[in-house]
Amino acid sequence: MRDRFALSMLTVAVAAASVGAFISASITGSSGQGPIARPATVAGKPNFSGIWQANNEANWDLQAHAARPAAVTQEGVYPYDYARVPAAPVLALGAAGAVPGSLGVVQGDGQIPYKPEALAKKKENADHWIDRDPELKCYLPGIPRAMYMPHPFQITQSTNKIHMAYSFSNTARTIHLDKVEGPPDDAWMGHSVGRWEGDMLVVDVSHFNDRAWFDRAGNYHSDALKLTERFTLRSPDVILYDVTIEDPNVFTRPWRIAMPIYRRVEPNMQLLEFRCNEFAEEFMYGHLRKQPLVKRWEGETMTIDITRKIPPGDQFYQWYSR
Amino acid sequence: MRDRFSLLVATLAMATVVVGAMSVTQLSAQGPVLKTPWGEPDLQGIWTDESDTPLQRSPRFANQEFYTEAQRAELDRDRAALLRRDRRVERGTELDVAGAYNAVFTSQKRTGARTSLIIDPPNGRIPAMTPEAQQRAAADRDFRLALLQSTDTCKNKSVACAGGKYDPTPSPKRAEPPPRYNTVRINRHDGPEDGALPDRCLTLGLPEFGAATGSFRRIVQTPGGISIFYDVGQGQGWQRNIVMDGRPHLPASVRQWYGDSRGRWEGDTLVIDVTNFSPKTDYQGSRENLHLIERWTRTGPNALEYVVTIEDLTVWTRPWTVKQDFTRQSDQDNRLYNEPRCIEGNYGHPGLIRGARMEELAYAEGRGPHPATKDNATDFVGVEDDPLQ
Repeated sequence: MRDRFALSMLTVAVAAASVGAFISASITGSSGQGPIARPATVAGKPNFSGIWQANNEANWDLQAHAARPAAVTQEGVYPYDYARVPAAPVLALGAAGAVPGSLGVVQGDGQIPYKPEALAKKKENADHWIDRDPELKCYLPGIPRAMYMPHPFQITQSTNKIHMAYSFSNTARTIHLDKVEGPPDDAWMGHSVGRWEGDMLVVDVSHFNDRAWFDRAGNYHSDALKLTERFTLRSPDVILYDVTIEDPNVFTRPWRIAMPIYRRVEPNMQLLEFRCNEFAEEFMYGHLRKQPLVKRWEGETMTIDITRKIPPGDQFYQWYSR
Repeated sequence: MRDRFSLLVATLAMATVVVGAMSVTQLSAQGPVLKTPWGEPDLQGIWTDESDTPLQRSPRFANQEFYTEAQRAELDRDRAALLRRDRRVERGTELDVAGAYNAVFTSQKRTGARTSLIIDPPNGRIPAMTPEAQQRAAADRDFRLALLQSTDTCKNKSVACAGGKYDPTPSPKRAEPPPRYNTVRINRHDGPEDGALPDRCLTLGLPEFGAATGSFRRIVQTPGGISIFYDVGQGQGWQRNIVMDGRPHLPASVRQWYGDSRGRWEGDTLVIDVTNFSPKTDYQGSRENLHLIERWTRTGPNALEYVVTIEDLTVWTRPWTVKQDFTRQSDQDNRLYNEPRCIEGNYGHPGLIRGARMEELAYAEGRGPHPATKDNATDFVGVEDDPLQ
């Protein structure tokens, strides 16, 4: 801790020479009146502070895919995979429940190098998306998924910490630029340690649990996951986000995803809450209600009738019968 | 102490261990106001109140703003005697089973210097409620008691039934919605909304004055920006991203669990104005009209002063003010804390709902008593009475 303070003082001294002039020019009210404009640098490093959001389909599937009618489909009139129709759980959403196509964000050949048995599990995950994807239960998204969910996040960049606050599920992570050892237990969001390589922010993330997914397509990892994230400010409003993913339990080799992440430039932008555990209550506990809300068609009233068979091992309520 | 002893399974069971190991960070620099490299007051770090102070002043210390050293020592002695005690009610009773937490689980911090967190009004007490607010509170209480009226809790005149009376006939209120959005534990579990907010992993946000399970806030600053992450309520952490550019509050139609925070510097003090609370929140009876004015001031290398004025003229006859002193905590010892994962380990909440369905089934099949005679709301009998509260 003493080192940390000394380090930040040293940073001040070094930074003062290089960026002092810029900061004083861009700060409209140093400690009294008026807001402070966002300077281009913090202590001499590119300033990533602000509210950001990916604008792609990676949260649906990291890999290239064609659009399809729904996240959950069933066999329709034809027996072909390409002619399936939306299934009951998402039927009422109409076209709003469809999955947009994408060219994918996996670099190189576009393939995720699963081990054979891991690929089988990925496919099984996809078949049981509703039962298994932690996003639906409002569990924490993990990294890197939190970076490209369809929700904004806010970066607050200081000299020894960079804080990332995600609107999804109130979650956050602190990137330690100073020395802080990893936690004694695994975590959804891992443990992030950052360093500067020139103007590039490089973050090593470890100490993950084995529960988070990469997307809604069942792509997953184990608790051996290690990430190397690279953040480059391509322009004041675009981050180039590049992640090397290693997990010898699941993949045969390291692989990379990359994407731009855009600043939310609206002048009135601010991070609003997305406190989704409230929104997931009906999904998780609805069947326990005294008067269930999910019924059937009554006359012309569409009341969704959901048949949701949860396979052994995925049953949230198995706990009760123990 | 809204979320003080939530029933949730401790998803961060480790947290108690870490809290025990908490230590004060020592900074080498001493001096006037600490500043960030860009010249703003530096409020950064992890902060907590290291002592216990009651929100309201006890009548016993009515004319005292501060305890004497002898009084503090006596309180510390009495409270230390509670540590690790496992108080039980009569074995085999429902209340004994409901005692999920005892003094082995909870911790006591040293008694603070002040006799109350409230510094205004000068008597250290929450101001009187308006007649309308009293009526709303009475309606809430009557509803809660009606759901208890046919249980042994009322039959035995337990403290949880104070203000109510035993009636073997189940109340028709059992089939009615609560008078307003429910935030506390009630003796009915028809669906998720009957659960207390902490049981639903929806612990209230502000104002946050600490709880037996810990209350930590990490502050990170950037030029013109401040982020605060609260670690509270057994994995019910949440974040504030203070808007610092002088723009007005959110439209009145946008309401949030944690309100809407607008900050500015007044000299070396960060002043945050908080409005736009959701009607689903409740702090001492105040809901969507709650208005907070917070003042955060770094008063030393390891010291942060927090003063908040609490205002809602629809609830209280005057504003009131609370002061807390935070001490800087070790980054290393608190590195586990950013996971608001309460929901993932929350078996308690669905368990209460499912339990109610099982009781209804047993009654329907002639195997059990009328569900209205069961009390599934009263618990915490294992927790000792803290002489400080």
